[in-house]
Amino acid sequence: MTGTGMLLRFMLRRERFALPCWLLGVTLLVLIQSTQSQRLYDSAEDLAKLRQSIGGNTAVIAMSGPTRLLNTIGGEVVFEIFAFTCIVLALMNMFLVGRHTRADEESGRAELVRSARVGRRATLAAALALAGLANLAAGLLAFAAVAGTGLPIAGSALFGAAFAAVGMTFAAMTAVAVQVFENTRPAYGAVALALGAAYVLRAAGDVGNGTLSWLSPIGWGQRTFPYVDDRWWPLAIPVAVTAVLGAAAMALLERRDFATGLVRPRPGPATASAMLGSPLGLAWRLQRASLGGWAAGLFLLGAAYGSIGDSIEQYVADNPEVAEFLPGGAADIVNSYLALTAMTLALTAAAYAAVAALRARGEETAGRTEPVLATATSRAGWLASHLTVAAIGSALVLTAAGLGEGLAYGLTVSDAGQIPRLIGVALGYLPALWVVTAVAVLGIGWVPRAAAGLAWTAFGYCAVVALFADSFDIPGWAQRGSPFAHTPRAPLDPVSPAPLLVLGAVAVALAVGGYAGLRRRDVGY
Amino acid sequence: MGVQNGAAIDIAGLTKSFGRAKALDGLDLSVESGQVHGFLGPNGSGKTTTIRILLGLLRADAGTVRMLGGDPWRDAVALHHRLAYVPGDVNLWPNITGGEVIDLLGRMRGGLDRRRRDELLQRFDLDPRKKARTYSKGNRQKVALVAALASDAELLLLDEPTSGLDPLMEAQFQQCIHQIKQEGRTVLLSSHILAEVEALCDRVSIIRLGRTVESGTLGELRHLTRTSIAVETVQPLTGIDALPGVHDLVLEDHSARFDVDTAELDAVVRRLAPLGVRSLTSTPPTLEEMFLRHYGEEETSGAEATS
Repeated sequence: MTGTGMLLRFMLRRERFALPCWLLGVTLLVLIQSTQSQRLYDSAEDLAKLRQSIGGNTAVIAMSGPTRLLNTIGGEVVFEIFAFTCIVLALMNMFLVGRHTRADEESGRAELVRSARVGRRATLAAALALAGLANLAAGLLAFAAVAGTGLPIAGSALFGAAFAAVGMTFAAMTAVAVQVFENTRPAYGAVALALGAAYVLRAAGDVGNGTLSWLSPIGWGQRTFPYVDDRWWPLAIPVAVTAVLGAAAMALLERRDFATGLVRPRPGPATASAMLGSPLGLAWRLQRASLGGWAAGLFLLGAAYGSIGDSIEQYVADNPEVAEFLPGGAADIVNSYLALTAMTLALTAAAYAAVAALRARGEETAGRTEPVLATATSRAGWLASHLTVAAIGSALVLTAAGLGEGLAYGLTVSDAGQIPRLIGVALGYLPALWVVTAVAVLGIGWVPRAAAGLAWTAFGYCAVVALFADSFDIPGWAQRGSPFAHTPRAPLDPVSPAPLLVLGAVAVALAVGGYAGLRRRDVGY
Repeated sequence: MGVQNGAAIDIAGLTKSFGRAKALDGLDLSVESGQVHGFLGPNGSGKTTTIRILLGLLRADAGTVRMLGGDPWRDAVALHHRLAYVPGDVNLWPNITGGEVIDLLGRMRGGLDRRRRDELLQRFDLDPRKKARTYSKGNRQKVALVAALASDAELLLLDEPTSGLDPLMEAQFQQCIHQIKQEGRTVLLSSHILAEVEALCDRVSIIRLGRTVESGTLGELRHLTRTSIAVETVQPLTGIDALPGVHDLVLEDHSARFDVDTAELDAVVRRLAPLGVRSLTSTPPTLEEMFLRHYGEEETSGAEATS
């Protein structure tokens, strides 16, 4: 364990930007939810109505948590946000521990460290200590957010403690995974799988009799019932599990060689499949995993939105102030809700459209474009390969979102026709997504170093205009630059092809302009 | 092979700047078809920049560049059908196996010889089933080498292709290049391994600070550098230090050690002969000395300028 303290200080230094961002993110989620909930349900009657409209909706329970939490306003905040922030916190812990253990070993950096006067266990001990500090900070910040917005102190303290305990469980889980696997990728895969299982078990338990929830770290946290029962004893489970997993990680560490895992990585194919023989085949291979993740995520998000589509009318009748957020007001509630959620889904998908296009630049800065362009591949062919994946991928991601929303909404209203209808609604945003992709391409062509900044600025602008145009009183001319402002808000507004064709043409023009820049510039800088 | 007459690569007065930094400053390079041409120079002298311009990845600021009868920037794709490239720093896709990378690069170039590919894998003792992220630097280099050597490209651009290989693999590499030479193909070989250069190259060009400082066969280059002389004479040695081209003279009464510019060797021997030579050893410059002299020229020329 020699050198643990020194390594911990060094890790804190390496984390001085990333970790505060994660912590700030989760704190903001809690803060926003706490203020919003307390504003929306400021009376006992409001809360009772909510219990009634949501208590019978299994989809919402599966997404959020046990309905017992809805007995108090503080519990309502836990119900809405706890499971979701636990996912973010678990991912933070996973990357935090993985980055400082297996990733360093994989890159060879850890070899330099271990050649110094540093004990075998020091790196893992320091990484777990780092996770401990991060979760402590997350718990304190969450406590400050809920207690600071006026919720009872006792419940808030339990909220923060439960939050930190769940986070620490995933840190210890990652510590084991990085001993088992030789590379970060499968280790992250295993932890992500465990996280998914934790969410699904919790959902099944909360919908059913609750037994399965006790197999899930998120369930352990939720079943302290902060602000409702304020019971601390369930936290003994994550504490014990963390201790066992941490000890197991240390024991496994002793049984393996440096830079290896307990499981040998499986060899891959010795020859390339017929698919992998062109720039497009390569781009597809590189991007398919990310596309799968985005499609699955948007399918789930769509399903979450769709699941409450049917209860929205009753919900708005109970909470008339919500109607202000809906584009069509109270007149056509379901359709305005579907229009609003479709746009939110499309905005999320627009982030994919940017990510997929920027992958081309990522390949270039990693030095992997050079060997491709040294073959008989033209710059146009190389750019088009990633662009094709981004363009078709955007369509697939939107389809997944529409399918999720259509399936969940169609199930609640017993109408299979909702599936094609909402897929169509989502695909209406495809030209807008292509514009986002094309802006990234324009950046890659003319200002490669600033391409990511440009694409994300464009994305941020679209998001602000789409979500806050009314509340910030953004003037009409300032909204006109966003492709989302020109996309008809189906199913509330009728869809006409003209604006979509114009957006498509704009996207093509921007992409061609970007290629014109790429044609004349140096590659690899 | 369909080799056109004359030069495979012809570069004259090539300049390239990155911002204020001048990477190439009037570089000349001529590589004859069917020859193995050594491309030497200290780190940062512009070898990789030159090769990237030949690949059409970078755009030349000024000068003329012809490769295989075409313009590397304008005709990049057509020319790339006919060449293979091994980068100095091999970056591969971490999640794709070495075998897949070799096939992929081969197919994108326009097909590869599967029999030769498998033979090269054997030769370089490379496991094609491992994901690229698990390869060491040497193994990544082997992947790029196998991909390039398995092609029947008429021109190979190799940027320090063996810097991560062990001596056994180095020997395999040299055999491969010999074979390529016999087939009449052309190789531009950037390298720091002088034994490799000596064994393989017909001609070499030495560049420094983005400019060609020497070019020719190894014999010609030797002629341009200094020979070490140790001499013992009957009569006392006088007047040696006054002769042109004599350097680093260590003089005792009847013996001396010094270096002499090879071009001035004849004059020096004529001066020594009348003194009654008892013993004389003359050592031609080793490659190392030759290159050290060129690589370190900045220091020596700086020192001369101030003295």
